[in-house]
This record gives sequence, structure tokens and C-alpha cells, in this order.
Amino acid sequence: MANAAGGAPGGHRNTFWAFLSVPGVAWLAALFVVPFYAVAAVAFGRVDPILRTADPVWSPLEWKFSAMRNILRRVLDSNDLGGAFIRTFAYVGGALALCCLVGYPVAYYVARHASRWRGALLAALVLPFWISYLMRMLAWVNLLQVDGYFNRVLGWLHLGGSRNWLSGDWPAVVIGLAYGYIPFFILPLYAALERLDKRLIEAGRDLGASPGRVFQRVTLPLSVPGLMAASVITVLPMFGDYYTNSFLTSGSPRTEMIGNQIEFYLRGTSQPQTGASLVLILSAMLLVLMTYYLVVTVRAQRAVAT
Amino acid sequence: MNTGSTRRQVIGGSARLGLALACGIPLLQACGDDSTSAGKQSKSIKDGLKPEAGPLRIFDYDSYINPEIISAFESKYGVKVDITTFTSDDEAISKLASGAVDIDLHHSAATSTLFKLVDSGLIQPLNKTYLTNFGNVVASLRDPYYDKGSVYTVPYTVFGTGIGFRADRVDPASLSWDTMWDPQYKGVASVLDDVREGLTMAMMRKGLTDVNTSDPAVIKQAGSDLSELTNLMNIKVEIEGYHTIPEGATTVAQTWTGDMLTALQYLPEGTTADVLGYWLPNPALINSDTMCVMSKAKNPVLAHLFIDYLLDKDNAITNFQYVGYQPAIDGIDGQYLIDQGLVPENLRSCVLSSDQIGKGFRSLQLTAEVEALWNDAWSKFTAGG
Repeated sequence: MANAAGGAPGGHRNTFWAFLSVPGVAWLAALFVVPFYAVAAVAFGRVDPILRTADPVWSPLEWKFSAMRNILRRVLDSNDLGGAFIRTFAYVGGALALCCLVGYPVAYYVARHASRWRGALLAALVLPFWISYLMRMLAWVNLLQVDGYFNRVLGWLHLGGSRNWLSGDWPAVVIGLAYGYIPFFILPLYAALERLDKRLIEAGRDLGASPGRVFQRVTLPLSVPGLMAASVITVLPMFGDYYTNSFLTSGSPRTEMIGNQIEFYLRGTSQPQTGASLVLILSAMLLVLMTYYLVVTVRAQRAVAT
Repeated sequence: MNTGSTRRQVIGGSARLGLALACGIPLLQACGDDSTSAGKQSKSIKDGLKPEAGPLRIFDYDSYINPEIISAFESKYGVKVDITTFTSDDEAISKLASGAVDIDLHHSAATSTLFKLVDSGLIQPLNKTYLTNFGNVVASLRDPYYDKGSVYTVPYTVFGTGIGFRADRVDPASLSWDTMWDPQYKGVASVLDDVREGLTMAMMRKGLTDVNTSDPAVIKQAGSDLSELTNLMNIKVEIEGYHTIPEGATTVAQTWTGDMLTALQYLPEGTTADVLGYWLPNPALINSDTMCVMSKAKNPVLAHLFIDYLLDKDNAITNFQYVGYQPAIDGIDGQYLIDQGLVPENLRSCVLSSDQIGKGFRSLQLTAEVEALWNDAWSKFTAGG
């Protein structure tokens, strides 16, 4: 009786919370599942014979895969679109590494040691969002010009200072991507680090470990889920980015990313199926990364639990 | 500064995304004939109608009309003019086709995609009785290849494609399309971010004159030739020559004629116009932007009157001073603009003569299959392949 009596209210509560989640689930369905299916319907659909705009085919039974086959051949050719894919992964990897190098210490400091400055520092971290991404990239164009401040600083440090960073060089793209997206990296990482159980760190110190050892054996492993979340949030938009390199390398083919090709086919041609196919291929690749993220996260949670 | 930038994007958008679709036959030749045109469902307005109360709704690129012209038109006809902007020709067509915008006058339709507007019945035949200044249109575009009989359109601007260069660094006598492959300009050269313009340049460099070829081998070779530029020249693919040349960051750039006239506004303080130069091949690739009235226009008479207003020579000059692109008006030639002090002598080649306009190469419509060949060749080049 007691169990049954106790179970009924719990069941109602579950129903209540499930009901509350309905709008969110519907929102996700409307803004993710449906658009994603629409991309597939375009990729495997037709083109309006007069306007040459996308004519989505909603029934999978009528889908045609010729555009996908053609684009897959090109993606597998490193002298064609394959090069843009490889470049995209390399740039995103480089930018993520830069985010880790720069962002982790910042997030760690704000979460663990900023004390009364924490609020101000968090506000400062959010500050870039107040300015348009394009405006921030344009600012970098000025900074990276031959006579810009970046070269001047290098000159003062006797590290060169005459390089034209905007002439189609990959460092400009990697720096630009890292700069543009680093707030997305720091904030979730800060949230994860701020929640770390201080007692575990204190226990490490009490057991005689040096601060470096405690960081290596306690703090860093515990921050893996936060790092992974921050990485995912950061790299997903980076993979689709197509304007950072456009601004910083003036559309040099040497720095073309896959987002540029998607933009070209979807906005600049009468081949929307090709652009949509590229979106699906990129999504499939990201799905692999997302799966890896989930596996690592689950493992980390289990490790913490044990 | 911003104004010029958006004007440059105007042409960039229209040509870059145009994908040139016009038919191998004169584009709208059939469209002028009600019995054969797919756009026949739309009729022109009757003669002698009074102007509507407005507001006149214009669809245009940003900053592609002089605000002074808008104000003067509003005062003359006592109506308000509302402008809705778009950023590319494809975007414009997509919005018009979906009904996302409700406008009277499409002010900047690319000639290469006009057939879409006609065949889908989106634009109506013009009633020339309202276009009293139509006779001012440059002779070679009164019966243009893309709209025989000017049934649906009136040309707004006309421009050719050549090389804009720094006259203080380049010997003008040495210029040809080979210049774009000359390693002495490595890192300071750019080509237009435009499928047809880029591949056509590579074809013209080899002496080919069929700029609408469907030969896969020729298209592929043009793409390969462009790919050479990636490492040989560290080439940029952009439409920024109008400011990078006067600023000195670029020495040679494939540019439109209007780019270099716009470039005059971007000369740094203390730099004179004689650092700018322009080389135009003969014949050159010539394109236009056009004005047309929508089939569902609520203010079709006002739309006609606005077109006519821009065909007035004085108004066209006023507009040119802001837009920077040559109006397709008879008598507004190089000598006239130089005499008026609007164009320096060293940029005379940026102003097209009626003869040049008449004899220029045209980017015509390609079939979907051939267009895909062009797109894929360009895509491979821009992807660094």
C-alpha cells in the first residue's frame, strides 16, 4: 500500500514534466528534424525547369541519387572537393587547439580564482557577442594588414613583421576562427569547471600531490566532459563557416573551406541538389564526431561515478 | 565607403550568381511574341492611365539608385518610393517566385537570368507609350540580344570585363589576359568571383571566342588553367578590385569597367587618379542590368514612369555620379563624361561605346547540363584543386 500510494504522485509528476517537455521537443522537431529532412528532399529532389530553383521531393520512394553520387566522387578526390574537406578539418582542428590553449586557462581562472572579479570577467567574455561577427572579422582584416598592428608587434619582438597575413595564408584563417568562436568555448568550459567538487582537489593536495600533479590527475580528468562539450559547441559552427576565410584571405583557393562550396552551390548556382548533398556529407562526418563525443562523455561520467 | 562597397556587390551579385542562363538563341526573342512566349499570361497596361497613388515599391540591390533621384521622383509625382533590397540575382528570383516580396518594379534584373522572369510570367510586357525617353537608350541596346524588341526590359547599366591595374606599376602596352598568369604579379592579382567571367577569361586567353561553349574538354581545360593561378599567382577570387587597386593592395585585377570608375572614390588622400588604369579586350564580354515591371504590380504606371525618369539623360548623369556604373543612354560616352569632368582621360577605356556594346561577347543561357560543367570546373578551381 505504501509503495502504491507513493508511486501514484510520482507518476503524476513524471507525466507533468513530460508534458512540459512537449513544447521543447516540438521546437526541436520543427527546427532540426524537419529542416534536415528538407535538405535531404532537396539533395535527392528535382530542380524547377524554369526558375532552376530547388524542387524538393518529399517521398523517399521518388528520390534520385545522381547528384550525391557525383559529389561523392569529387569529395573522394583530394585534387577536387576532397582538398576542401581536408583543409576544413585541419583548420577547425587548429582553431580548436588554439581555443584550448587560450580558453582553458581563462575558463579555469574565472571559475577557480577570479573571486570578486568573476562577474566582471564573465561580462567581458560575453562582450564580443555584442558586436557583429562580421564586424569583428573586419577588425582582423585591419589588424593583419601588412602595416597593421599584428606585424608591428612582431616587429617590436624581432619576430619579422613584414608578412602579408591576408594573402591566402592558413594561419589567418585559424586565428580568425579561434577568435570568432572562442567565447562559445570558454563559457561552457567555465560552467563545467565552476561545478568541480573542490573537495576532490583538496583531497589530492592533502595526499601530498603538487599543484601540477593535482591538476593533471584530478582537475583535468574531471574537466573532460566540459572540454568535450565546449569543443562540440565550438567546432560545429566552425565546420559550416564560410565567411571567416572569405574575409581574411580574400577568397584565396588555398584556404577554401567546405562551407564556401556549400554556399556556392546553394546560393550561386542552379544546382541546389549538389549543395544539399554536400551538407548531408558534412553532417554524416560530424555525426561520427558527435558519436565519439557521446562515447567519451559517457565513459567520463562512469569514471567519475566509480 | 560603405556605399561604394554595396554598389560593387550589386554588380558582383548580379553577374556572379547569374550563371548566365540566356539561351543559345537570343534570349527573349520569342518572348516578345505573344503567340510563342511562356510569359504570355501577362499583358501590358493600357495606354493613357493616370499614375497610381503609390507608394511605388522597387526591388533593387542596396545603394544602386542615387537617393537624389528617388527624392526628385517623389516630389515630381507626389508619391512615396519604397525600396526593398536583395543581395544576389538568385535571391531576387527566389523571393519573387515564392511571393516573399510584393513589388512593382524590379530595378536590377540580370540579362542572363531574364528568361526565368519571363517564362514564369513574373514580369509584364512594357507599354512604350509611357516611356517617352526610350529613344535615349543607346542604339545597340534598343533591340538587345537578351530581349528582342525590348518587350520586357529597359537597360539600366552596361559594363564590360577587362583588367584594372595600377598604372604606376604596370606597362599598359604589356597587358593582355596573359598578365593574369604573369608571376611578377604574384600575390597582388585577383580574378572576379564569378563562374562565367572567370572561365571565360581563361578561354579568351587561349583565343577562344565561344564564351558559351558546351564542349566539356574546353570547359575542363579552362578550369585547369584557372587552377594554375592558385600557386603560380596566389590568386584572390573576389570582387574588391574597386578599392584594393586604388589602395595599392592589388596591382592587376580582372574587373568590370564600372569598378574602375567607382575606384576613383577610393583613392587614398594624396593619391591621384593617374595611378589607375584599365585594359579592355576587343571585343570584350559585355553585360547589362535591366529594369522591368512585375506582372502583379499594384502601381504599374508609376513603375513605367520611374523607368522613364531614369532614361532622361540629365537624371541618368545624376544617377551615374552616385552609382558609378555607365548608364545605357545614348550620348553618355567616354568623351562626354571626360568633357564633363566625371571621368579622367586615363580611364576612358572604362566607358563603352555603342559599337563596343553592340559587338561584345555575351554570356548566354546554358542548358542545365552544360551549366553544371561550368559550375563544377569553377568549383574545382576555387576548392584549390
